[in-house]
Amino acid sequence: MKYAFFPGCVSQGGAPELYPATRAVADKLGFELIEMEDVGCTGAGVLSREVSDPINARTFAKAEVMGLPIMTICSTCQGVMTQANHRMKDDEYRESINRKYLAEEGLEYKGTTDIRHMLWAIVEDHGLDKLKEMVVRPLNGMPIAHFYGCYLKRPPELMVPKEFEKTRKTALEDVIEALGGKAVRSSGRGKCCGFPILTSNEENSLAMCGDHILDAKAKGAMAMVTPCPLCHLELDGKQADAAAHKRQEINMPVLHLPQLVGLALGFTAKEMNLQRHLVSTAPVEEWMAAEVKA
Amino acid sequence: MEVTLRVKRYDPETNGKGSSQDYTVDVDKDASLLDALIQVREEQDGTLAFRAGCRTGFCGDCTMNVNGKGAITCRTLMSKGLKGAKDGPIELAPLKQVKIVKDLMYDADTFHWAKFKAVEPWVEAAEAPNGSEHLMTNEVTQKLREAMSCTQCGLCDTGCTVIDVDKTFLGPAALTKAYRVVFDTRDTRTKDRLERLSMKRGMWDCTHCFEASEHCPKHIEPTDRIFAMHDEAIKNEAGPPSVVNHYKSFAASVKAHGWLDEGRLAIETEGYTNVKGLLKLLPFAIKAGMKGKRPMPYMFHKKRPGADRIKRIFDKWEDNGK
Repeated sequence: MKYAFFPGCVSQGGAPELYPATRAVADKLGFELIEMEDVGCTGAGVLSREVSDPINARTFAKAEVMGLPIMTICSTCQGVMTQANHRMKDDEYRESINRKYLAEEGLEYKGTTDIRHMLWAIVEDHGLDKLKEMVVRPLNGMPIAHFYGCYLKRPPELMVPKEFEKTRKTALEDVIEALGGKAVRSSGRGKCCGFPILTSNEENSLAMCGDHILDAKAKGAMAMVTPCPLCHLELDGKQADAAAHKRQEINMPVLHLPQLVGLALGFTAKEMNLQRHLVSTAPVEEWMAAEVKA
Repeated sequence: MEVTLRVKRYDPETNGKGSSQDYTVDVDKDASLLDALIQVREEQDGTLAFRAGCRTGFCGDCTMNVNGKGAITCRTLMSKGLKGAKDGPIELAPLKQVKIVKDLMYDADTFHWAKFKAVEPWVEAAEAPNGSEHLMTNEVTQKLREAMSCTQCGLCDTGCTVIDVDKTFLGPAALTKAYRVVFDTRDTRTKDRLERLSMKRGMWDCTHCFEASEHCPKHIEPTDRIFAMHDEAIKNEAGPPSVVNHYKSFAASVKAHGWLDEGRLAIETEGYTNVKGLLKLLPFAIKAGMKGKRPMPYMFHKKRPGADRIKRIFDKWEDNGK
């Protein structure tokens, strides 16, 4: 499969471990990624849609010219783009954006671009059976809590529409199981991690983060996995603060989706940049090492 | 058809909580869940307390937790695949965010009215010109009409992840009410309202997670309403300094470089003169930096190849706004 790759800002900024891990894993899976370099940030739900819709329409138009679906590696990028693309289905709205913003660059968005998160690409394009066959180091029942990030789940009619219900509703759990792990269903799995309100209400943000991780821990998870680098910034980056806020030790390793896939496909922890996480991923590495010895 | 309701009961006089009671009633096949509850109260147990008003989905009063999820009981029909209607008890409990008065009856003051009152949901218009009427365009009226169809059932608040950790958060229901007046063109207090909504535990505590929109039975899209108020507040520079700084810095860096400058965002959110805030960033920056997370700010933040085109989009948008 060939994709117009939209890496997003965070995979090369605050979570720089994600970009190279994605590249390596995509290669292994046989995904050909043509990186979209001359496109803008999605707006992440912070920028007004009045300006982010034209920026996103420009990205969609460029992918349309390339004749490729866009692949994202961030639930937020995916959610914002899917919603913007949905608004572009309105011919009048799309045409007004073409006219006002894209025409002078010789671009026109016709409304045909498909945008797919890497998680969906793995499940829907690559296939779980094929993924299973490629596993060289099965996770051997490692209990892992899946954490989607809110933008990959909602609004459900756009993110998990009827025709994709079978593949998307449990995509992350299915990937964990295909890699030989055990998906742990925590109560926060589809909820907001707390990251968006870190600036406006740190206390609530940390309470949300702490509750989600502690619930995963209480249900037996020894690690968490997320397809969203913003969730990772919160669940890994702010975990120590959340632990202090909850007055409890947490120490929960949090992996990006490609990192977990990569480990099972034979990459080392270092190759997946686990050393760049703030919370030690040693338990995951120890589990994998024990499994290899066995 | 025979159905069993398993009701979570609470009696303030005996301070008894956590006990559940089963009631089995024979209801009409077209009955709603509320019909069944009323039947229980009339035929079996007059002490069972719950709220109900219009019985037609208008008043939002009979909302409760049904099988673990918020629902409007008068709109929940036994015949429409309700879990437990055929094979087992239907579990009923109060909504998670309410203060319980007795059984399923909640205190509406703390649930709705205190929060609604806080957003001052009445229009304050200037005197109409020359004694004529105030006119609103059809476009504006349509925008407000949907927000006005809110029945205040509170299901959006039930889904709210922030209310999960902080019951004092204003919440999507009250914020949808606020939208109704913020965008009313007759109202003269827009900026003042936006500043008021920026109160502690106010609109900036919303995470935009779309839970509220998913839970709204009337498809009013509370999340989009909150987005719209955030946009309006930033345009009016109304809001806590750190939030306004955050939004402005985000836009400025995307405008300049095509993509987000996270390092700059962290610094500018605190504000250049906010020494205490900037110092607060240091421990995390050092910790992250030592792990190789070093998003370099300002001139070190590489410009994207298409950055000039992105800037052009911003320029045009800003011109449109003038």
